[in-house]
Amino acid sequence: MNIGHFKNYPITDFSLPEKRQFLERQLQSLQSKISGENGLHAAPLINGVEHRSEDIYLRYNPSDHSQLIGSTSFATTDQAQLALNSAIEGLPAWRALPCSSRASIIRRVGELLEERHSLFTSLLILEAGKPFREADADVAEAIDFCNYYAEEMIRIGQPIETQEVLGEENTYFYQPRGVVAVISPWNFPLAIACGMTVAGLVTGNTVILKPSEQTSIVGFEFAKLVLEAGVPKNAFSFLPGRGEVIGDFIVRAPETNMIVFTGSREVGCGIIETAAHIFPKQRAIKKVVAELGGKNAIIVDDDADIDDALRGIISSAFGYSGQKCSACSRLIVVGSRYEELLERLSNATQDLVVGPASNGASFMGPVVDEESYTRIINLIKSQEKATLLCQGKISENLAGTGWYVPPTIFRDVDVASPLWTSEIFGPVLACINVSSFEEALELANNSEYGLTGGLFSRSPAHIERARDGFEVGNLYINRSITGALVQRQPFGGFKFSGVGSKAGGPDYLFQFMEPRTVSENTMRKGYTPDFT
Amino acid sequence: MNNTLEQDISALGKAIFSELSACTSSPLERGYWNALFTRLTINLPELRTSLFRLVDVLPALDSDDILLRHISEYLSKPLVEYHPALGCLLRLGEAKPLRKITAALVRLSVTEMAKVFIAGETPLEAIPQLNRLLANGQYFTVDLLGEYSLSEHEALLYLKRYLEVVSTLHKHLLPVSRSNLTNGSSVCISVKLSALYSQIDSLNFESSVNILSERLSQIARAVEQVSGTLYVDAEDSKYNPIVYETFKRVFGSEEFKLASHPGIVVQAYSKDALEIANDLLRFAANRRAPIAIRLVKGAYWDSEQVVASQNNWSCPLFTVKEHSDANFEELSRLLLNNTALCRPAFASHNIRSLTHACCYAERNGIGNDKFEIQVLYGMADAIATTFSHRGYQTRFYAPIGKLIPGMGYLVRRLLENSSNESFIRQTFFEPTAIEKLLAKPAPIRCPQLAHNVETESESELTLSFHY
Repeated sequence: MNIGHFKNYPITDFSLPEKRQFLERQLQSLQSKISGENGLHAAPLINGVEHRSEDIYLRYNPSDHSQLIGSTSFATTDQAQLALNSAIEGLPAWRALPCSSRASIIRRVGELLEERHSLFTSLLILEAGKPFREADADVAEAIDFCNYYAEEMIRIGQPIETQEVLGEENTYFYQPRGVVAVISPWNFPLAIACGMTVAGLVTGNTVILKPSEQTSIVGFEFAKLVLEAGVPKNAFSFLPGRGEVIGDFIVRAPETNMIVFTGSREVGCGIIETAAHIFPKQRAIKKVVAELGGKNAIIVDDDADIDDALRGIISSAFGYSGQKCSACSRLIVVGSRYEELLERLSNATQDLVVGPASNGASFMGPVVDEESYTRIINLIKSQEKATLLCQGKISENLAGTGWYVPPTIFRDVDVASPLWTSEIFGPVLACINVSSFEEALELANNSEYGLTGGLFSRSPAHIERARDGFEVGNLYINRSITGALVQRQPFGGFKFSGVGSKAGGPDYLFQFMEPRTVSENTMRKGYTPDFT
Repeated sequence: MNNTLEQDISALGKAIFSELSACTSSPLERGYWNALFTRLTINLPELRTSLFRLVDVLPALDSDDILLRHISEYLSKPLVEYHPALGCLLRLGEAKPLRKITAALVRLSVTEMAKVFIAGETPLEAIPQLNRLLANGQYFTVDLLGEYSLSEHEALLYLKRYLEVVSTLHKHLLPVSRSNLTNGSSVCISVKLSALYSQIDSLNFESSVNILSERLSQIARAVEQVSGTLYVDAEDSKYNPIVYETFKRVFGSEEFKLASHPGIVVQAYSKDALEIANDLLRFAANRRAPIAIRLVKGAYWDSEQVVASQNNWSCPLFTVKEHSDANFEELSRLLLNNTALCRPAFASHNIRSLTHACCYAERNGIGNDKFEIQVLYGMADAIATTFSHRGYQTRFYAPIGKLIPGMGYLVRRLLENSSNESFIRQTFFEPTAIEKLLAKPAPIRCPQLAHNVETESESELTLSFHY
């Protein structure tokens, strides 16, 4: 196995017509499969066995809500208990495997994803409403997590000697935490679910994956693939279900040792609180890794390249309809070019192509479901005091077909307004003009979140100042602020954006393990092997 | 004819070099600041990046204070490191009484540098420069510098600027003898398609080609009306499939299929260049009227390398400069062998590349009126003049536009002048042996490619073209 040779799996170059056409054909055939079979299906997968339940969840295509994508049997709490039992039972054998064997199996997960790349891309387009490039990158990132964490595990898997002393042997090594509950979001249905799952598995834990309701089908396809790759059936279970039922149940369960969550701040903070409570029969303190939201700002300095800044702002604010925790929702413009920039931004935003995710030409697809749609539209409508700069156009023939929210920009917003302080998770951008760079930095930092941030500037002094002074986990200078790559840009924030964990980074796996030290006196009856 | 092609090239090349050294000491005689800048960046490599970045940001700075802050941020450290006295000079320039003067001087020097490469801020302003070329018996093609077209509003403004430039040129250019012209008039423009549609994208291929075809047709119509010439510029590999498809759709259409010599560009640094050139020749054969093909090495080398490297894609370009040179010569021969289908324009500042084309034409009885030589405005005036004195038709690629969008263009030209591999630098700023500059580029060695170039395409070529 090659160590130190991790390379990001390449995203697809859609300027090559054969790649474009290949994906279009795959998408077509998945579409016809779905309509031919009345939709796909997903179900709990416990100890290798598919389970059924009465609680059926129907998922419709967010680009066209008349199309049923599939139905999911949501797990019952009894089934969740079965999954926990299975995870306990599978733990001894799985953790006893040499880490190189676990790493090989996780690499196999990556290989299978590569083989089915376009199938997963198509599924993401239909179930999550992701446009082509976003869906393609989601799969590439999942593959990266497999290869990177497998390589990392080899790097950190061997015991080390802490110090060389005579007459004593001191070793330091890591053990898995035990049973890991993974609760994943819908916005990166494959990449994040996969990353959290394989990190848990490769470190020797057994994992229960609870996917987001909206993307249970992508999750189910992934779960089957994990078992196919060779993960023992009692080391991994798949448990689709309602967050408030199944999520809550596995968070409280005394069998659970660790909870890995990516999602909203509200749910994440709730999990941290619940996990801190000690329940009867619990054997250890629970560890929580939570990656939460952001209210990310881009600062455009008075000397910025406006062309580059505008491209960066548009892709960061409206890519995947703003439904990324890294998305830009606050724009701070320094100096006198505010009006010029807003005029160009407004014109550009109104011309963005909004349409079905399954049409490659769409720059932006729908939001994930009706609930998101209603929430965002109501929030936009309720801003009576804020000045609307512009709203994108949605073609009339899309009316009533999907959950399309037009890209929307407000100008000169009040810094106390929810437009400036709350995560909206939609294509909504708020802008403010300030007179100095220091003021801009202060305003950017004055947020409960600290996930991503961006600076467009050509001042070496300001760029240097931002490196340290811009309080975010991921700072991007003179480029868009989304699209972090595994290993290249380890991703995660602090403050209320998360616990400071970095997915795809060199210390991520340590969170899934507990370090141990063993000191052995090697001297017996005045004799030590050190001198032989 | 007893000489070999290489001997011809050597003889012509040496003659041209000796004329070059006689007619001027530098190709940049029109630009004091450029010569200074080029010498400075060649001699002080540690200053290079700082200076280029400063030049790049300059037009965006609207007050003296911001300007001086940037000068100090970019230059203090490298200057002090190079020579403490220069650092003192800089601090003196920032002192209160001199601030205004320093700012004005820096602005002036950059504006002057830009003026060397940019024919004018507006078409009207460029007319005297363009007429001067015509009076010398030289031609030009006008390129409009612009910012990105991020909205349809901006794309349509850009379209309007193209239509206006055609009529301004038509109105104000000196009359020239028609016999020297490809088409009836000296009006000639080069169009960047990506700026004509704001939503251009390979995933939006059909709409991109449809909308661009409609807009390019408007420009082609205006150019036809004044009997002018139009080139469609090639861009980077994410847009080129759209660019070539649009070119073929417009100039293969009923309306334009008989239009004389619509121009397109082939980039020799692209590994696909031969395939693209063959495809364009087939296209010309089918439309039954010749096209013009400008052969260049290619201008997007750095950014294409960056994109390929960041995405872990294999690079679509030759990464060894000599391979582009060898491919340029291979393509030159292909185009010269097919002058019934195309009028080639050899666009380069590399005297070896240009003399190769000229000598190959001569040996094969292809007249000087069947092809032309193109250089960038302000970059290689002496080279162009030397060739035009020898009876070759020469054309300058002349950008017109404001300073902000022009800065990217200026920085690229300055980089080109001072880069290690620059032919201009080796020709005019460094005593590189003439033999070395005129040496035959090593053939492309990459096995897979050699197969493409020599077997596959050759058999294809024998089917439809003289080769």
